[in-house]
Amino acid sequence: MGQDIFEIAVNVTKLIIIFVMMVQLVPLLVWVERRGSAYIQNRFGPNRIGPLGLTQLLADAVKFAFKEEFLPTKARRFIFYAAPVIALVPGALAFGSIPLSIPIAIEPFQMMGETWGPYLFKFQSFEIGIGIVFVLGVSSLGGYALLLAGWGSENKFAMLGALRACAQMISYELALGLSLVGVLMLYQTFHFADMITAQMGPLMLFGSEIPFLPAWGVFYQPLGALIFFCAAFAETNRLPFDLPEAEGELVAGFHTEYSGFKMNLFYIGEYGHMMVASALFTAMYLGGYDIPGVQDDVAMVSQMIAGLGLSTNMVSVLTALAMHVVFFTKVLLLLWVFVWVRWTLPRFRYDQLMDLGWKTMLPWALANVIITAVVVAVMGMS
Amino acid sequence: MSMTDILFYIIGGITLAASAAVILSSSPLVSSLFLAMSMITMAFMYYLLEAYFIAGVQLIVYAGAVMILFVMVLMLFDLKKEQDAFAGGTMGRSLKVLCSFLILGAITGAIMNSAGTTGNLPLGEPSAAEQIIGVKSLAIKLFTQYLFAFEALGLLLLLIAIGVVAISRIKGGTHA
Repeated sequence: MGQDIFEIAVNVTKLIIIFVMMVQLVPLLVWVERRGSAYIQNRFGPNRIGPLGLTQLLADAVKFAFKEEFLPTKARRFIFYAAPVIALVPGALAFGSIPLSIPIAIEPFQMMGETWGPYLFKFQSFEIGIGIVFVLGVSSLGGYALLLAGWGSENKFAMLGALRACAQMISYELALGLSLVGVLMLYQTFHFADMITAQMGPLMLFGSEIPFLPAWGVFYQPLGALIFFCAAFAETNRLPFDLPEAEGELVAGFHTEYSGFKMNLFYIGEYGHMMVASALFTAMYLGGYDIPGVQDDVAMVSQMIAGLGLSTNMVSVLTALAMHVVFFTKVLLLLWVFVWVRWTLPRFRYDQLMDLGWKTMLPWALANVIITAVVVAVMGMS
Repeated sequence: MSMTDILFYIIGGITLAASAAVILSSSPLVSSLFLAMSMITMAFMYYLLEAYFIAGVQLIVYAGAVMILFVMVLMLFDLKKEQDAFAGGTMGRSLKVLCSFLILGAITGAIMNSAGTTGNLPLGEPSAAEQIIGVKSLAIKLFTQYLFAFEALGLLLLLIAIGVVAISRIKGGTHA
């Protein structure tokens, strides 16, 4: 956690802030989802309460908190109550381990008659030595929440939804994992920070520089990026992959029996998965906090902020925040794409879903791995 | 005691309790959930041993894929008969006790027999280079020193997959 009380305090605060940030983004995303769907379908959407309908979020939150919570008579009590909580864990843990900006370097300073520091605070809840492997491992546990919800509520619709969800998640996890292997071979690291550093600067192809394009993973790994993006949709159980809760067939799938705040926890879990997928895509394929078209962007931003005449510690903090804004802009754009796709594409049939996962995406992901391996070995790229 | 030691005892206690619950609970589904729990805590144990990559792989492969498949398949079936078989009878119980003693004997024998060999292993602190490039050194060992065993295991898994498909088609199967 840290060497002294200051470092521990900052780390704990960081942990809480990043978790709260994730949770608080959910109502905003729900609002974006509703207004976005209304915009796409030529409707108004919720626009009555407050400016642009923004206070609708508050009304929804109050509704979630005060709705009647009930337990089906035949439900398995403990599992029924545990499932929504477990749904929250994978997204929160995975999101916490992704670096959202450059680390903040704090030089020694005086406070309350003592000298503190120097410190180096990473812009993430916690760092685990294996980066991407940890994120994959934790988010693969997301299936348990759905299975427990389906089994615990002792309802055929919920059960079928949970089984569909699990089959889908396991199938697409393979394509997701394999599509990442190309990135890992290209950057030869598991750490997000190293990956993002490797994506700085202009795009180099066959030894020559390509103007106006940054060296982002999406240009080196277009196929991998596409497969990762599609598989991420399947992992988050959203349209066009939302068979687990296909309302025409299964009422609401695995959360049919849930109401009130427990339902809300499932929502947070789902949107948390979306945020993790967007942050992963940003860090691995969209250059993280790299500003496209700008050379040495971190140095440039810190120089601009240093021009304001602040102390070095303040400059470090503000630079990290500025880079975080860059990172988060990309994440928000991707989240909008999630919403956009949901209201544009119709749902797959179940056999189409399985065919796409096993017969299309998996072979292409394997091909991507082989091609990348050959290219990396031949060109000696690092 | 350091923080790591305290964590070790807490996690170890949870692992043992979950593993005991696997064989003590009467419902196959509940015991498979406890097995998943013990696998997740095992991943934590690997993490405490600073085997980060193994911990991640344990989470992805065992807890995230294998156990989810187990749980899913168990949920698909009507488990009334199996539940009775699990709970059941003097014969079943005595067999269970017998089996647990057999396993206990096998484990004790393995430990007793390996007492001489483990002493010769180059245990102790890994070098600094090994700690940093843990995954790389693991990969190099897998693809040079243990290549044959690694490939043989891969082949075995392939054979199992083919065997499962063959067996499922004997009596018509679902796609007949």
